[in-house]
Amino acid sequence: MKVLIKIFKVLIKFFTSIRLAIILLIILAVASVLGTLIPQQRGLEEYAARYGQLSGLLIRLQLTRLYHSIWYLAILGLFALNIVVCTLTRLSPKWRKAVKPHVQVEAKSLLALKIKDRYKNNAPLSAVKAELEKSLAASRYRLRSAGQDSKVHLLARKKILGIFGSDVVHLGLLIILAGGIVSGLTSIRKELALKEGETLSVPKASFELRLDKFTTEYYPDGSVKAWKSAVTVIENANPVLAKTIVVNKPLTFRGYSFYQASYGWNWDNPAVEIWSKKKNDPSFLKKLKLKVGEQVPLDDKEQTSISVARFIPDFVLGEGNEPQTRSLQPNNPAAFVEGFRGGEKIFSGWIFANFPDMDRIHAAQETDLSFELKGYEAGQYSVLEAAKDPGANLIWIGCILTMLGLALAFYWPHWEIKAVLEESQGKTEVVAGGIAAKNRDSFQAEFEKIMTSARRTP
Amino acid sequence: MSESTLFVITFILYILSAFYYLGFLFSKKPNSAKTGSALAVAGLIIHTAALIVRTVESGHAPFTNMYESLSFLSWASVLAFVIIDRKFKIPKIGPYIMLIVIGLVALASSPLMPKEATPLVPALQSYWLWLHVSVTLLGEAFFAVAFITSIMYLAAREADKKEKWDSVSYRCVAVGFPLFTLGGLVFGMVWAYKAWGTYWSWDPKEVWSLITWIVFALYLHTRIVMGWKGKRSAVIAIIGFLAALFTYFGVNYLLAGLHSYA
Ligand code: HEM
Repeated sequence: MKVLIKIFKVLIKFFTSIRLAIILLIILAVASVLGTLIPQQRGLEEYAARYGQLSGLLIRLQLTRLYHSIWYLAILGLFALNIVVCTLTRLSPKWRKAVKPHVQVEAKSLLALKIKDRYKNNAPLSAVKAELEKSLAASRYRLRSAGQDSKVHLLARKKILGIFGSDVVHLGLLIILAGGIVSGLTSIRKELALKEGETLSVPKASFELRLDKFTTEYYPDGSVKAWKSAVTVIENANPVLAKTIVVNKPLTFRGYSFYQASYGWNWDNPAVEIWSKKKNDPSFLKKLKLKVGEQVPLDDKEQTSISVARFIPDFVLGEGNEPQTRSLQPNNPAAFVEGFRGGEKIFSGWIFANFPDMDRIHAAQETDLSFELKGYEAGQYSVLEAAKDPGANLIWIGCILTMLGLALAFYWPHWEIKAVLEESQGKTEVVAGGIAAKNRDSFQAEFEKIMTSARRTP
Repeated sequence: MSESTLFVITFILYILSAFYYLGFLFSKKPNSAKTGSALAVAGLIIHTAALIVRTVESGHAPFTNMYESLSFLSWASVLAFVIIDRKFKIPKIGPYIMLIVIGLVALASSPLMPKEATPLVPALQSYWLWLHVSVTLLGEAFFAVAFITSIMYLAAREADKKEKWDSVSYRCVAVGFPLFTLGGLVFGMVWAYKAWGTYWSWDPKEVWSLITWIVFALYLHTRIVMGWKGKRSAVIAIIGFLAALFTYFGVNYLLAGLHSYA
């Protein structure tokens, strides 16, 4: 038992130490720098390419997911424990000082202070005391006194809350850390990719979300101005809420928030616009709009008909020169055009929207037709992020407390004036001293003002 | 008057201010410092007008690209200097602050920085942009003043001067730290939550703000609890400002992340 108590005491002492806090803060800072130099949470190949032999070690040390690594979280945990122990052990003496202050101090100890004063008045103690109390009260000090008729101790204080500023900051930080833990353990986050008209159920919730309309607005220069998703919340098959979600303006419902996260193209069934020309006949121009897979007549003398067999939004040649798409964005749209006469395929090839001069039509028979890919239409889908984060409210409470505590710690300085008044032979001697942890210059000015005005004999 | 004209006038006033402050540094004539200060205030007023015109013309907050953000940072630095100088009478740092400000304004005016107000991408269309960036940069401006007064501390020889620089540095951190906490961390988290649904994503700019914040927390604790003052405090304040500087420039140019548009 004794050993346990001893261990406990050593631990408390360890965690009370501000040196530990400083060491932990330095480790956190250095580790965080490391995390910004090593790219985080990438694929194995990327690390192998970047760091070669070293990559295995980095991964084993969890340096590639540093902020979620066990050791980083452990340091944060120690840090939290440090704040708890450190703040609590200092809190009770502070509290005692605030509610049961020590009023009876000796003149000698006041004279040892930097900010002090002493004067003698030819008046009885009660009059001198009244005058001193009046000028202290005029500067908004709260007074306490103790002592007998011939010797009185005075304690004047203001803004006592200021001494708790750092505790409020530390409490706020703890709540923020707690909020982080709650978020890490309980937050739900899922991307819902919705086509217009589609309804998806929200994970772990009893309602569904339907996308009614998705629009992208552009600035005159072509850059995106806004993505707008008009959605309806559906609960028990009934629409209960309709709202348009924009970036920075999420929809919130039953603890969930829905954010405009991104958008994408639905390339399932695109429509393509193709212009056909003849090299030898400048007046010949046919504009065709057709779906992929559809065959339409070109209306020329030879009764050619055209179809688009494939459409690729972001054309690249993959392995074995196989055409494939690099992304779902229309960065390099390409269509595979086929031409038929009398049921027989006579030519086929890729045409590119971005490279109108590069048609790669291979013809079985002589043809002077050329094609340009002029446009494409595909449905867009909207990606909404459904998020539920019960930790967030703790974060906001913690932030408010932290800011409140900072305001108290820096801008609500606790000032204290102590005085001893002693009467002998009809004269009263006053010894006063002032204590300020912050803003000593302004305090000194105020102290002098109070003393000058209290000095005047009534 | 157009924003660019106002900006040029601002630039000239800041240069004149630096000129008079430098004169003060060599001649020690108090009048020279007074003129320098008056010119800095005049520049600040015209600069404020330039920022307002820019905001009205573009219809959005004046810190959405590097040019605007540099202009705002130099404005905040002059403001922080003027405030601290009013209170503590430290014309000696005038020349250094004004030279840094001229450097920032020159960088903003250089052809490297596109000046057109571009339309806002959807993620920036929020009044949290105002709160987040303006309060953060104001906090960093006070760190900048603390940086210079800390260097002055290290350079000073007489004990009473050293004490003054030390105490002014602390007062700058006492203003800068709450502002930086509010703007950089709290408003940043609120905005991220509004825009992306997460208040913290360990993006490099966020992490570097955290590092800067930790350095200044170290400054406060070593000072208050361990009684470190003077040299060691000055060194920590200098490191803190360098971290803030890296958060501002380095992250944009050297590391990639969510904040790369700003
Ligand atoms: C990054 C995290 C922290 C921040 C932002 C922070 C913030 C603050 C602030 C603003 C003050 C008031 C300073 C002043 O009055 O000038 C303070 C004081 C203090 N802090 Fe922290 N703190 C942090 C972590 C810690 C930790 C981990 C400990 C635990 C050992 C600690 C122990 C103290 C102590 C003992 C004081 C003096 C308090 C007093 O009695 O007024 N702090 N802190």
